[in-house]
Amino acid sequence: MASLRTTSRLIASSRPLFRPASLARSYATVESGAQEPAPKVKKFQVYRWNPDTPSEKPKMQTYELDLNKTGPMMLDALIRIKNEIDPTLTFRRSCREGICGSCAMNIDGVNTLACLCRIPTDTTKESRIYPLPHTYVVKDLVPDLTQFYKQYKSIKPYLQRETKSEDGLEYRQSPADRKKLDGLYECILCACCSTSCPSYWWNSEEYLGPAILLQSYRWLADSRDEKTAERKHALDNSMSVYRCHTILNCTRTCPKGLNPARAIAEIKKMMAAH
Amino acid sequence: MASLMRRPCLSALRTPLATRNVAGVTQVVAFHASARRQILPPEPQTIQGTMNDPAPIPTPHPSHGSYHWTFERLVCVGLVPVTIAPFAAGTLNPVMDAVLCSLLVLHSHVGFQASIIDYFPSRRVPKTASFLNWLLRGLTLTTAIGLYEFETNDVGVTEAIKRIWKA
Repeated sequence: MASLRTTSRLIASSRPLFRPASLARSYATVESGAQEPAPKVKKFQVYRWNPDTPSEKPKMQTYELDLNKTGPMMLDALIRIKNEIDPTLTFRRSCREGICGSCAMNIDGVNTLACLCRIPTDTTKESRIYPLPHTYVVKDLVPDLTQFYKQYKSIKPYLQRETKSEDGLEYRQSPADRKKLDGLYECILCACCSTSCPSYWWNSEEYLGPAILLQSYRWLADSRDEKTAERKHALDNSMSVYRCHTILNCTRTCPKGLNPARAIAEIKKMMAAH
Repeated sequence: MASLMRRPCLSALRTPLATRNVAGVTQVVAFHASARRQILPPEPQTIQGTMNDPAPIPTPHPSHGSYHWTFERLVCVGLVPVTIAPFAAGTLNPVMDAVLCSLLVLHSHVGFQASIIDYFPSRRVPKTASFLNWLLRGLTLTTAIGLYEFETNDVGVTEAIKRIWKA
């Protein structure tokens, strides 16, 4: 550490103490040289609604950004709008790399994660950003996912097992059994698929929706789980599973490239066989 | 209580389909979601129990769940050969005709039943739902009786289609 500090001090001392104001710049901004490319200004229309003024109708607000100074993803654009244009714009985001599922929203008509969605470079067309469709909105782009999480809890998303393993150490699984969980465990519960499903729009009070059913199948397919019969019995009513009419919006929209429709089909097959 | 103030996304954007802009030109709103907001506008958000309680699971009912679905699939799959067979074989068999008719009636009954469950949920509009279910049962019965009469006293479905095809 000491040597590092000395070196940096040496470098610092090799520079003139005072620089002319024209040369001084802050390191956070993009350097504006002589050959600055022509600005590529794109319009973003963003859904705005403020709970502090509940009588006011929601509206679309237009923001303009120069794409040369913006990162490639929609989330970069939103963050730049919040930082530089309008700090009141509200949205959820966390990991910016498609692993947390916070920034799920409806961009240009498709439910996706803002951090995995590239900004279309066509500047003649505006991008329209809405919260997830048919959700209760908390503010701007923040949907209320209470019902979604309550439904997730209702399927008991954890290993249920009575017997101990033979060695008393861990519950072992064959590679083939482990392989059944591929394409299921990757789900990050961003709710993109469930809120794209027309059946879920109509019956979200009782129908579980593709995301929760994919999770349900993740535990039904797990060879270590011993409550498969109970899990299947709990789903055996007209609403929980069978409101799925294989519309396949879920598979089409999944930003992680998973296939919830296949998981639902597997559940239906398991239920039919029992 | 704050949750009660939240409004569902898009429902608040409810506008008549055709509006006039400043210039007086009629604009048709091009945004098409499900028409749920026009038919059954969502109610204010209510949360059953606390945030941490699981959502209630409907009572298990295999005859409305897995048995129902399996039956529906079997009828669907059964319809395919029964529909093709009389035309492929070129012969008319009253038994085949009867099977085709009964499967068709069952298939359409189950299909309409699914639409009623989807669009007129009994938790929301219980009277409309039960009225529509009884209406459907009545219509299915009428269709079944009509087809029976047509099969026994007239030429039957397959022959009728053949004649219309050649007319």
